[in-house]
Formats: sequence, C-alpha cells, structure tokens
Amino acid sequence: MIAFLARRVLGIVPVLVCVSLFAFGFVRMLPGDPARLLAGPDATQAEVRAVRVSLGLDKPLWQQYATYIRQTLAGELGRSARTGQPVATVIGERFMPTLWLTIAAMGWSTVIGVALGVIAGVRRGRWQDQTSMVLTVSGISFPAFWLGLLLIDLFAVRLHWLPTGGEHGWRSFILPSFTLGVAVAAVMARFTRSAFVEVAGEDYVRTARMKGVPERRVVWKHTFRNALIPVITMAGLQFGFLLGGSIVIETVFAWPGLGRLLVDSVNYRDYPVIQAEILLFSFEFVLINLLVDVLYAVVNPEIRLQ
Amino acid sequence: MSRQLDLSRRAMLGGTAALAGGLAFGDLARAQTKSGQLTVGVAGHLLTLDPGDANDTLSQSAARLMLEGLLTFDHNMQVVPLLAESFEANDKATEFTFHLRQGITFHDGTPFDAEAVKINFERVANPANHLKRLSLLSMLERVDVLDAHTARCVLKYPFGAFIPTIAHPALQLLSPAAIKTYGKQVGRHPVGTGPFAFASWQPDTLKVVKHAGYWQKGLPHLDALTIRSDPEDGARIAMLRAGEAQMITPIPPQQAQLIQHDPKLALINDPSIVVRYIAMNVNKKPYNDPRVRQALNHAVNKELFAKVVYNGFADPLLSAEPPHITFYQQQAAYDYNPEKAKQLLAAAGYAHGFEATMWGFNNTVAITGMQFLQQQLAMVGVKLKVEPLEGGVMAARIWTVKHPSESHLEMYFGGWSSSTGDADWALRPLFATASFPPVLYNVGYYSNKAVDAALKAGLETADPAKRGAAYAKAQKLIWDDAAWVFLGVERILDARDKNLQDAYRLPDGGLMLDAARYA
Repeated sequence: MIAFLARRVLGIVPVLVCVSLFAFGFVRMLPGDPARLLAGPDATQAEVRAVRVSLGLDKPLWQQYATYIRQTLAGELGRSARTGQPVATVIGERFMPTLWLTIAAMGWSTVIGVALGVIAGVRRGRWQDQTSMVLTVSGISFPAFWLGLLLIDLFAVRLHWLPTGGEHGWRSFILPSFTLGVAVAAVMARFTRSAFVEVAGEDYVRTARMKGVPERRVVWKHTFRNALIPVITMAGLQFGFLLGGSIVIETVFAWPGLGRLLVDSVNYRDYPVIQAEILLFSFEFVLINLLVDVLYAVVNPEIRLQ
Repeated sequence: MSRQLDLSRRAMLGGTAALAGGLAFGDLARAQTKSGQLTVGVAGHLLTLDPGDANDTLSQSAARLMLEGLLTFDHNMQVVPLLAESFEANDKATEFTFHLRQGITFHDGTPFDAEAVKINFERVANPANHLKRLSLLSMLERVDVLDAHTARCVLKYPFGAFIPTIAHPALQLLSPAAIKTYGKQVGRHPVGTGPFAFASWQPDTLKVVKHAGYWQKGLPHLDALTIRSDPEDGARIAMLRAGEAQMITPIPPQQAQLIQHDPKLALINDPSIVVRYIAMNVNKKPYNDPRVRQALNHAVNKELFAKVVYNGFADPLLSAEPPHITFYQQQAAYDYNPEKAKQLLAAAGYAHGFEATMWGFNNTVAITGMQFLQQQLAMVGVKLKVEPLEGGVMAARIWTVKHPSESHLEMYFGGWSSSTGDADWALRPLFATASFPPVLYNVGYYSNKAVDAALKAGLETADPAKRGAAYAKAQKLIWDDAAWVFLGVERILDARDKNLQDAYRLPDGGLMLDAARYA
C-alpha cells in the first residue's frame, strides 16, 4: 500500500510538467493582447507599453518560457498581471471558500443521492422508484442560476433567514451548497440506481438470496458494496469538477471562489493566474483519482493496489 | 415510509433552527442603518487602491474614500478645489501653480505639503514606474516646490486640459511615507488624507472606517463603510432588498421599475457621460461617402433606441460629446426620416442599399443595441450582419491594428466616457488623425484637417473662452461630417435605501460617498 502510494505520488510529477507546458501554450493561444486589455479601455500606447514591460511580455517567447519554467520549478508562480499580488496569494484566498463549499455540497448530496438511488433500486418499478425519478430529473434539469435566485428571494429577501451571498459564517453556506448539490445529488441517485440494478441481477446475488440470506444482508452486503465501485468513481469526478469552482453558483451567490477568478483572469488574459489555475485543477484531479483508487481497495478487498 | 417521515421531521427541525438564527441576521442587517454603517454592493472587482495604477472607475472610486486630490469634481462634473485652495496657469498653458490648503495630515501623520504633491505626481509621470496612468501626466516635466504650501507643475508642452486632468481620481495623493514603505504594494496599503481610513480588504470586500481627524469638520457622517462585490444583477438587488446593502450600483435599466415600486427603496437616475455610437470605417466603401453616413443617422429612430435598449433610461446624443463634458455645443438633430435616408443613399449610388457587418462587445446592451439597429437599417435597405465579440478578440481586431489598411472593421457599436470630463479627452482620442489605432481609439479612421487643427488649438491655451471656441468648431465639423451614427447618452442607474442621502455617482460613473448619511 505504501509502496503503491509512493509510486503514484511520484507519477504525478511528469503529469504536472506536461500540463504546465500545455498551460503556457494554451494561454498564449487566446486571441487578444494582455497588455492592451489590462491597460484599460482608454489607455494610450505609452500606457500599454508600460504594462507590457512590467509584465515581461516584451521579451521573446522562449525567454518568457524559460522564466516561467524556472519560476514554476522553484515553486514560484509569479504575480497576477491584474492586481500585482503574488499568484499564490490570489489563488490561496479563493481556494478555501471553493474547497469548503465543495465539501458542504458533496457531503449532503452524496448521502442523499446514494440513499435515493438505493431506495429506487430496491423498490424499482414501484412508487418509490418513480418519486425518485421525478426528483432526480427535476434536480438535473433545474437551472442552478434560476434555483439560486429563487432561494435568495425566498430565504434572504422575504424571510430574512439567510444572507443573500458572500462568505460570512456558516449560514452563508446553506443556500449555495444546496443549489450546488442539487444536480450532484440527482446524478448520484441515477448512477447509484443503475449500478444497484445491474449488480442485483448478478449470479452471486441470486445465489445469496437462494441460499436464504436475509434480504437486508443481500441488499447491503452483496448488492450495495459491489454497486459502490462505479458510484465512487462518479463521486470522485464530481468532486473534481466542483473543486474547479462553479462559475454560476459563485456568480449568483457572490462567492469568492476559483470559478469566478478563472473567468476574470481569462477576460483580462491574466496569464500567470490562468496558468496556475490550470496547474491546480490538474493536480486536484490526479490526487482525487489516487484517492478513488485507494477507496476501491477499501470497499472491495479483492481489488489489490499494484 | 417511516424513513421519509423521519427525514421531513428532521428538515423541519433544521428549518426552525435556521429561523431562530436567521431572525438575528435580519435584525443585524436593519441595525446597520442605525449605527452609521453603509454597505455598497458593486458589480465589479477592486483591482488596486493605488489610483495611479488603476484604470477602472470602481478601483478609483474605492480609493476616493481614503484619498483626495488637489482638485475634484462636483455633482455636475465641474472642477472644484479640494486639497488645493486655488490655482493659476500661465498664458501658454505650460505652468500651473497650486496653492495648498494648510494644516492637513495624512492618516499616518505625514504632513500634506508641496513635497507630497511633487512625490506623487512625479511618481505617476516617471515611465520607470510602469504605472497604468502614466500618460495622464506624460506632459509633466517636473513639479517645483515653491514653498511648503505652493507647488508648480511645469509642462513639456502646452496642455490646456491640465486642470481637469488634475481633478482626475487617478491623481489622488498617497502619503509619501506609505509610498516609501510599501513601494509597488502601496495599492494594498492606501494611506491618504480622506474622510475614511483603510481597515481591511479581503476578496470581494473592502472595509474602511471613519477618520476621526478629517480636516473637513462634520464629515464623514458614517462610522464605517463596506464595498462588496456581487457580480450578478439580480443577486445585487436581493442584497439591497434584504437590507444587507443600502446602495447598489449599477442596476440594469430593465429592473428600474422594480426599484421604483418598492416603497423602501429609491432609484438613482442621473445623467452620465457615457456615449453610445456607431463608428464607421471611412477608408471603406460605402462609408467614405458622408451622404451614406448622414443617411444612416436619419435611418435610426433614437427615441426608440433609448426605449428598446435602455428601457427609456437614455438621453439623446446631440453632439460628438455629451452635455456633461466641458465646452459642449448642441447641434441640430438628424431627425428620424427613413425617406430622407433612402434619398441620400440613392444620391450616393446605393439606391438598393448595401450589406454590412457590425462588431460590438458580447454584453446585453451591445447585443440588444445591435439587433435593434439591424431592424432599423433593414428599413432603408441596409442588410446588417451582427457579430458580438469577446473583449480580447475585439481588442485584437480594432485597437491593436498596426495600419489602417489592415483593419477589417466596417461598423463598430461603441461606447466612450471621457475620464477627465474634458472636451479634449472626449474628442481627441476618437476623432483626431493622430489617434488612429494602435495609438488611440479612432477606429473608423475619421480624418479632417480642420478638426485636427481645432483639437490642437484647444490644448494650446488654458483660457476657457479660447478653448470653448476651438471645441465648438470641432464639434460642428464632426457632426456635419456624420463621423458616427450618434445614438444616445446612457444614464446612471443605481438604487438605494430611501433613508440614505448624499450617496451618488458622478456622470463619469465614479462613486461619491464622502458625505453619505442617513435621514
């Protein structure tokens, strides 16, 4: 297990090197001169030049690349072209709000989603299954934007129970984490149900039932545990996506997270911040994949970590 | 079954807890108005509090809470003294002397004097500092300290628009000690002479508190002020209605009625200096023919434009600059007359109209505006193709074009706001031959020697009468040439708590909150 983890963690390094190359190229392929955009809508040529020099964008591409690689290897990410702050500070400030919101949303939506999925799977074809279907289809098709505004209007404007937005204490988590989790819960429920139904048709489940294993044990031990594998994969993917920051939720709830930062950075062609965000997202995904692999082994001891 | 009941019971319990906690929150929001707190919800992000390095109105507005300039603007964009008591210029507009107010200190105790003026202005003007507002003072040779309370700005060449330039919020003064201590990071640690002192700046939230020793007696009325970024229009309105903010800026014209119908809220509806126009590439056919450009001006119903695009919250644009810019001269309107437009087109050889492409930004106003124009121009036979572009793509296609022949622009749905409030910056960047891209913003390559001469004359003197005559001439020429299709002037639309007073935005969009108070 430890050897496996060590190998996998080492394996992250070449992935990140490739991603950093890709990120450097990608941001420079975006049309639009960053100096021109950052200098503002009524800047003179002299001002645009001042911005270009201060960002080092006047240097040839290979020099910019060398600087970038040197900095990245030294663990330095440079400064935001837009605000002049160190990139690590800019991203650090916005990473925690996104992380906590992701955990809050994933927490409730995974539990509710899997529970709904199991109920629908066990009682398939009956009213529980149909109710779950109605709920999940609504959950997936509700536009988060509209749902968010609706909740703000009800709970913040009319009832004064909760704040409209921003990250100020635990109360401010309720509406955004609910809105963010609705679609995730729905996806998890649908996924759990189909995995459950598939496993329930397997020979070993029928065998268990035939030899008189109590139904509760058939459901939880034989079916549920085996159905969990694809569900964990799905949960990992969802978690990774949410960690990138949801642009819609962060906009509606004025959440100081990574999604809005990325949009703003792309709008202004803030190269260092875009590059660092791409790197961070890749790192998160690699890490989550690793975690998912470990969880497989925990859930199903037949899977060996190699 | 029992499981679900259990769930719903738990949800109800949770709801009750939220109710108890939430009531406390609602009370808190309402208590803000009592205790002299003001929260302003804004759409954008603060980028820096170093005004010399800020090119967005919001960052400059935020700096204005803590910092002050020698001069400022009053409610109508007229220049008024602030840290300077008076000023005078020489005849050639190359030397401007400022007599400073005495006995003022920065928040850190550093005295405000002529040396502070010198350090601040020369810092912005020095190209080695790479500040974004460098060109605002590109004409500045040096600042002479005549005595502790008199500073003289000596210019490299005549610049008649220097006084409004000094009133620009980018030239507000930072404490020399703070500049020395923080260097490039002074934008995170602003220290000025203003009514509020810096408290904290976290993502999306800036907090400032009353500066007890402020030199204007009786100000500020508020104890503390918060600027909160909330990018979504609907969510910002919710913030105001929930009592979390007492002012929000801006509000979309489509939501103005909602505010008007709420008895607890008031709509702020003031004139702005943001003009809307269509620029046409006069190097290309058919826009090289003034008759075609005049025809397009007659083809658009501007009243309807204001209604459709701005829900009625826009004024007519009756010159190349809007009324709240200095030396404004109203011209004779191009009346809405599709028949006349068709005749002019026919006279120019386009009796059957022509095909055209219009570029604009991909925001709601630009897209609605361009779609409206598409319908209007179709009535006179002009088949318009509308292309909304992302900011970076637009910049690459129209502003950074190296040579006029490389520009593929036909029509551009544009907007402009002269950040100095002066006719020079309202006209020269957009109409002078020397302002072709990539130097400045004359994206239609309009060129008229008489206009160039008038714009130059306006800068060669500081005498208002002579400047006024020069800009009147320029405005008349540009108007008669129909260099643009003149569409309208936007209005400032904000919303506030009914009890909040003396909080407003200037026509240039800058927030003025120094005297804000509750009734």
